[in-house]
Amino acid sequence: MAEDNFFQEKQTRRDFLNYILGFSFFALLSAVLYPIFLYLKPPKAQEVDVSNLKIAKTTEIENGSSKMFKIGNKPGILIRTNEGEFKAFSAVCTHLDCTVQYKKDENLIWCACHNGRYDLNGKNISGPPPAPLTPYNITVQKDEIFVSK
Amino acid sequence: MDNFIKKIIINHGHISYLCLTVLLFLIPASILSQETVSKDNCLNCHLILDGKFKQPAVLFSSDIHFKKGITCSACHGGDSKSDDQDKAMNKAAGFIGIPHGQQVLKICSKCHANEFNNFVKSVHGQSNTGNGTIINNCVTCHGIHNIVPVKSPSSKVNGLNIVKTCTGCHSNASYMRTYNPGISVDQLEKYKTSVHGQRIFNGDSKVANCASCHGNHDIKNVKDPQSRVYVTNVPSTCNKCHGDANYMKEYNIPTDQYEKYKSSVHGIALLEKGDKNAPSCNKCHGDHGAAPPEVESITKVCGTCHALNEQMFQESPHKDAFQKKNIHDCAACHSNHGISKTSDEMIGNGEKSFCIKCHANQDKGIQVAITMKSYIDSLLKEVNLASYLINKAEQKGMDVSDAKFDSNDIKKVLITTRNVIHYSNLEKFTGSINEGFNITNKAKITGEESIKDYYVRRIGLGVSTILITIICVALYFKLRKIEKKRT
Amino acid sequence: MSIFSKLYHKIDERFQINDLISFMKKKEVPLYRGTIWYYFGGITLLLFIIQVVTGILLLLYYKGSADIAFESVQFISAKVKFGWLIRSIHSWSANLMVLAAFIHMFSVFFTKAYRKPRELSWYSGFILLVLAMGFGFTGYLLPWNELSLFATKVGTDITKTIPFVGEYIMNILRGGEEVTGATLSRFFGFHVALLPGIFIFFLAAHLIFIQRQGMAAPEDWDEMSDKKKINIPFFPNFMMRDLLIWLIIINVLSILAVFFPWELGKKAEELAPAPAGIKPEWYFLFMFQTLKLIPAKLSVIDGEVFGVMMFGLAGLFWFLIPFWDRKTPRGKKWYWINYLGIFVIIFILVFTIIGFIT
Repeated sequence: MAEDNFFQEKQTRRDFLNYILGFSFFALLSAVLYPIFLYLKPPKAQEVDVSNLKIAKTTEIENGSSKMFKIGNKPGILIRTNEGEFKAFSAVCTHLDCTVQYKKDENLIWCACHNGRYDLNGKNISGPPPAPLTPYNITVQKDEIFVSK
Repeated sequence: MDNFIKKIIINHGHISYLCLTVLLFLIPASILSQETVSKDNCLNCHLILDGKFKQPAVLFSSDIHFKKGITCSACHGGDSKSDDQDKAMNKAAGFIGIPHGQQVLKICSKCHANEFNNFVKSVHGQSNTGNGTIINNCVTCHGIHNIVPVKSPSSKVNGLNIVKTCTGCHSNASYMRTYNPGISVDQLEKYKTSVHGQRIFNGDSKVANCASCHGNHDIKNVKDPQSRVYVTNVPSTCNKCHGDANYMKEYNIPTDQYEKYKSSVHGIALLEKGDKNAPSCNKCHGDHGAAPPEVESITKVCGTCHALNEQMFQESPHKDAFQKKNIHDCAACHSNHGISKTSDEMIGNGEKSFCIKCHANQDKGIQVAITMKSYIDSLLKEVNLASYLINKAEQKGMDVSDAKFDSNDIKKVLITTRNVIHYSNLEKFTGSINEGFNITNKAKITGEESIKDYYVRRIGLGVSTILITIICVALYFKLRKIEKKRT
Repeated sequence: MSIFSKLYHKIDERFQINDLISFMKKKEVPLYRGTIWYYFGGITLLLFIIQVVTGILLLLYYKGSADIAFESVQFISAKVKFGWLIRSIHSWSANLMVLAAFIHMFSVFFTKAYRKPRELSWYSGFILLVLAMGFGFTGYLLPWNELSLFATKVGTDITKTIPFVGEYIMNILRGGEEVTGATLSRFFGFHVALLPGIFIFFLAAHLIFIQRQGMAAPEDWDEMSDKKKINIPFFPNFMMRDLLIWLIIINVLSILAVFFPWELGKKAEELAPAPAGIKPEWYFLFMFQTLKLIPAKLSVIDGEVFGVMMFGLAGLFWFLIPFWDRKTPRGKKWYWINYLGIFVIIFILVFTIIGFIT
């Protein structure tokens, strides 16, 4: 509203100052609005929703295969057993924090670092792992698989 | 002797003459002439009976308890001074006949309190199969009526005999099954193949028998942390004999295994960190069949845990070379009891390198080792640089959780790469380590970009600060003009 | 002259803006040594506006549920473009707003601007400060980190000591016996719906009062010679000064946000042991510290209960100041009320500092 008042007063001496003021006000306004506009645009990465992390579609995963996913800052592993059952665990080996993998031929979870083995219930069955893998809960809605801690 | 009979007649005038006559005729002179004839009328009577009534008395006369002057009534109750059967074996006067189960324990514990206390807490004294009933009692191992001192060679619990005593039950599958269907019954078979077993069957009583490791009255389940053979207790149990230089003198083997083991990576893991998966003595040597592993079997023994390394070693050129020279595969580099934690210094041509043990200064092998070492060193440098950049970015308040997530795998790469060294194959090694370089490069880029972004933020701030300053100055001048006009 | 003038004319035709401007032009602001204190109300208002804007922006991504609140804040500051800036500004602006409000209150107190006819401005302003502190208290928990969880535990625990209704109030605040996810949901509701609703009402009243009554002149204004009495029009002179200061504040805020981004800390775990050094927000620190220093038992009464009651009474007394201090006897510059104000400032400063050091 300050500007409105200025427009009414017709004094050419002031024009320069007014231009500077007007210009820099708009510049500042855009400096304020620029981050806000960028902020409003949702980022590509999936929004955090740890309580219900959508990790895969049932059609993506065949029986006897696995898929890695990210939960928080740590890797997780989703396994579909030969019987078609879904299981999800933290993929962090309890021995030295390596990332474990599913071994189809032996039908178990395996850590390449020290040959640690876990069965498909996450229980450590051989090798150095001192504790079982942390299991996650799985819910399947239609054809989408959700994982929660 | 005559005095004795006279005394009986004088003191026990009421005894029927018939009885006395029978007694006089039946007692063999040989027995009477010995010291064994006592005031114990139980014994006296039973000795002249037949069969199962006589046997206990015969056996008991050589029993240590008898020799120490303990009478039958001490265990069986009743009045041993009386020669009247009705009086001597009067249930109202405390005669109990043959003691059973808990009764035996109660009787023995009257004198052997310590042993009793240990026993009731032991696996044998605390059966979990039947409402706390005991599995066995004193007489199961020590026998009845013919108990002799433990040190005597004929004792049931001495040297080789104890192996027979224990295996009497423990090798009997159908008997053991009634208590614990899962328990193994092959201890004796294994023991026969062990160094201990072979020596004891040849008459060496110094070597370990069952009780040396398991204890005697206080035997605990192997899963009980108080057990002498509980995984963390095994090393000190073995060390009782194997660490005693005097005791082991005649066998001519080292006695420093425990000291070495204690400071080894396995010993530290088991004894200090309490990692029960870490091997104690028996994991490598066997327990009942304890013996040193042979040259060929050493890789397999280590390979039970270090399976990948074993497999890699089997495929390496070292396998054949070691075999030709009869070198212990794993132990050649890693030693045996004193295995130290692996480090990158163990490869290459440095002072601590294993390679220089065999390889000369300029041969192909040492060149490969030097190359591997330099790869590892440069990867470590890259890892350090990447984590430095990421930490720096994090300290600057940037979010680098994604980069940190990706660097989780660096650890894995480092571990597997160090394992792959066992192939002694440069190609396989570089294939494995290159993955590490890829990950670190990515992490480095993220770190650098985050740091760059940090400065971009400051530039943005600078721009808006300049803008605000310009507006402020302009406003100030405008305000001055307005106020000048007023005054 | 230009499009803007034409546009202005058209709007004026319909809404009589000129009337409003001439009203504001007529309104005068005394210019003297203490004029600087007049700006703090405006600063508080600016910071509140910033809070509303950034708060609404944060609301686009924030999720007020215990299992994902922390992650969503992490998401805002890591993944959303300029999310770190919005969040940092929201946090910094919140603290500066409370600080500005405190300064505003004490300046009003010492210039005796709460006296007739401005009693209602004082009452509404006091309520606004309490509400602002409520904003701070509820907002502190929303990132659901370790420190905020335990600070909230301690903070809500204190309400338990209020006689008769304490237990009830604590349960209302916590949404249960303990500080849990339910507390977070409640605080989120308080922070973004309940408190703003009440706040806007009192803020509107507060602003209408000031526009109707104008700035309070200093105590000795009437006795001063006309020559010394300088007044400037509220519009545009004072407003431009306000604007100048607002811009400086915005700049300070962005410098703070860029150079000292607000930390997120560790995610709260309800069962984890309390971390060392739990402290409430600095504006609660003097109360927190005082309660800590009061002995556990004061003859028959519980130390904490006594402390809470004393603070309650003191607050009530402070709130009702226009009632106690209606008129100053002429010619008496110093009055007991000034000593009281100085004592309160020293008390707050000393205990805040002790709270920070220990």
